[in-house]
Amino acid sequence: MAESTVKRRKRGMSRLERKNTLIAYSFLAPNFLGFAIFTLVPVVCAILLSFMEWNGGSISAIKWVGLDNFAEIFKVEKVAEKWAEGNYFYFFNRVDLGIALKNTVFYTVVTVPLTLVCSIALALALNKVKGAVAFRTVFFFPYVASMVAICVCWNFMLMKDGPINQMIMALGINFNKSWTADSTMAMWAIILVSVWRSMGYYMVIYLAALQGVPRELYEAATVDGANKWQQFLNVTLPQIKPTTFFCSIMLIIGCFKIYDTVAIMTEGSPGRATKMLVTYIYDVAFNQIKYGIASAISMVLLILVLIVTVIQFANEKKFANV
Amino acid sequence: MLSGGDTSDIFMVKENLDVMKWAQQGFAKPLTDYIANSGFDMSGFVGMEPNYAVDDVQYALPFRSDFWVLFYNKTLFDEAGIAYPTNDMTWEQYEALANEITGKSSCKYGAHNHTWLSAVANFAVCDGVNTLLDGEYSDLQYFYELALRMEASGAIRPYTEVKAANLHYSGAFQTGDTAMMPMGYWYVATLINNRKEGLYDFDWGTTALPHKDDVPAGSSFGNLTGVMINKASQNKDLAWEYISWLCGPEGSQVTAATGNRPAWVSSEVADVLASVEGFPADENSKAALIPTQVSIEIGTHEKLAEIQTVLNEEHTMIMTGEIDVAEGIEEMNERVAEVLE
Repeated sequence: MAESTVKRRKRGMSRLERKNTLIAYSFLAPNFLGFAIFTLVPVVCAILLSFMEWNGGSISAIKWVGLDNFAEIFKVEKVAEKWAEGNYFYFFNRVDLGIALKNTVFYTVVTVPLTLVCSIALALALNKVKGAVAFRTVFFFPYVASMVAICVCWNFMLMKDGPINQMIMALGINFNKSWTADSTMAMWAIILVSVWRSMGYYMVIYLAALQGVPRELYEAATVDGANKWQQFLNVTLPQIKPTTFFCSIMLIIGCFKIYDTVAIMTEGSPGRATKMLVTYIYDVAFNQIKYGIASAISMVLLILVLIVTVIQFANEKKFANV
Repeated sequence: MLSGGDTSDIFMVKENLDVMKWAQQGFAKPLTDYIANSGFDMSGFVGMEPNYAVDDVQYALPFRSDFWVLFYNKTLFDEAGIAYPTNDMTWEQYEALANEITGKSSCKYGAHNHTWLSAVANFAVCDGVNTLLDGEYSDLQYFYELALRMEASGAIRPYTEVKAANLHYSGAFQTGDTAMMPMGYWYVATLINNRKEGLYDFDWGTTALPHKDDVPAGSSFGNLTGVMINKASQNKDLAWEYISWLCGPEGSQVTAATGNRPAWVSSEVADVLASVEGFPADENSKAALIPTQVSIEIGTHEKLAEIQTVLNEEHTMIMTGEIDVAEGIEEMNERVAEVLE
């Protein structure tokens, strides 16, 4: 019965309807064409390349190698061998991909909540304060400033005798080394710069969200005797939940794709301490000229981002509705 | 182009790996017979030519090479009343000299080490025996210890600071507070131009790289550009005539006159290079243009890039002091062995 309705509808599509449909498609076309040429086709090529061997040069040199690239990046044999010896962490401690994965996940897990907390705090502080516009501009500024300039400046500030270390020393903590030259602190330097850079942007989004929280709710809460903190926990936070959902998705995906900060500040050093998935992909693709293997690594990244996105959207109703 | 049956007579090689590839693919005409028949004397290549041989068959001739020399700031040495570095200095003497001049008059640093792997590790390949591809890196220990010792004594800028500040080697040397700096010959052209543009104002000179006790003075390392003959060429004999002229004693002087450093080493080439306006006039600087032996910076290997990645990563670990030299060398050995498996 439903089928026949559809059929009738199709047949019954008037000229006007058809015309409107065509107009709609024509509006979509420019965007879709751009997407197809610059995103869809490269993505499909990358998926195919991840099963092939290609070290640049002529296209005739491309060879189908099946899952070899994945065996290579996961160092399957070596990892299995070490596992049998009882060395269970070999993959995450010694294999490039394992290290890059570990670093990227650590970076994401720390950066996302930290950025969210900082931007909510900033938004609350600047919601109803005098001169808010000026402050908002100041905090938003890093987001529009050149990444290279930002990273170079931070590199200077985080140097051995730089201002940040001097402050730390003044607090009585003995740390006398360039942050980017220290295996542990290099990662924190990158987290610090990332949070500092993007919190202004998310602050603006939160500011908009805060405007949308109905006043009556606060009034009601006040009448019920809730203090400011309780109001924040029980009124503000639930009300801005959809924004938090949006921000966290954007942040997580952005964090997995971290590249520029690392490339400028540390180049993955010292050693492999700040090697991330994308810097690893870059190295394999454009220094080692192994497009097949680089594509295989990018598939790992794709799957990771996909998993996160699927989990988030599956729970969208729970997270995104007030 | 070559696989398309192109019949150009000669072609230039930028990457060493290409020599191996083209020789295997049969695009390159073996030169061994030509060399034997014409009695071409290869001694002017001071050890560079085997880099273009596969299984003892020569496939290309070295054309250009910007091997490394030691630059020094004459003005600083004059001010401090210390004798200039010489062409037969050992690394110990170099270190002692750097320590001596550090802090004298306006000299802040006795020397400068750039952040590159080549500015430490490659000094080990100057002996013509060690390479960075052999998977055994204990020969680098001496040079890492030297670099870290000079850092500790304040004779060179700390690696971490140079890295964090993205300090370019020309910036480091041209501020005028650095007495010596090992660097590739290509820097000569920059130095001459920058002085003309008024970017710095002091006199400088060049000497050979310092050497280890058991390595002859005047040993250096550098990269190569070469020339090959196309196997499909119709004029192979003529092509040989041309490239043996171009890379040999006469052509190299013409190349030198264009301001480029030919691979061929001779006192005639040195004369031409030293006659360039702005090049230091002293005899020592000219003598530095006549190395006794030049090794290749990093040879040819199908896993070259992967090995380089590993060496660079461990280089940063050692130079930032995250691991000690012995540990770093061990890591290099172990990780390169994994790459080579």
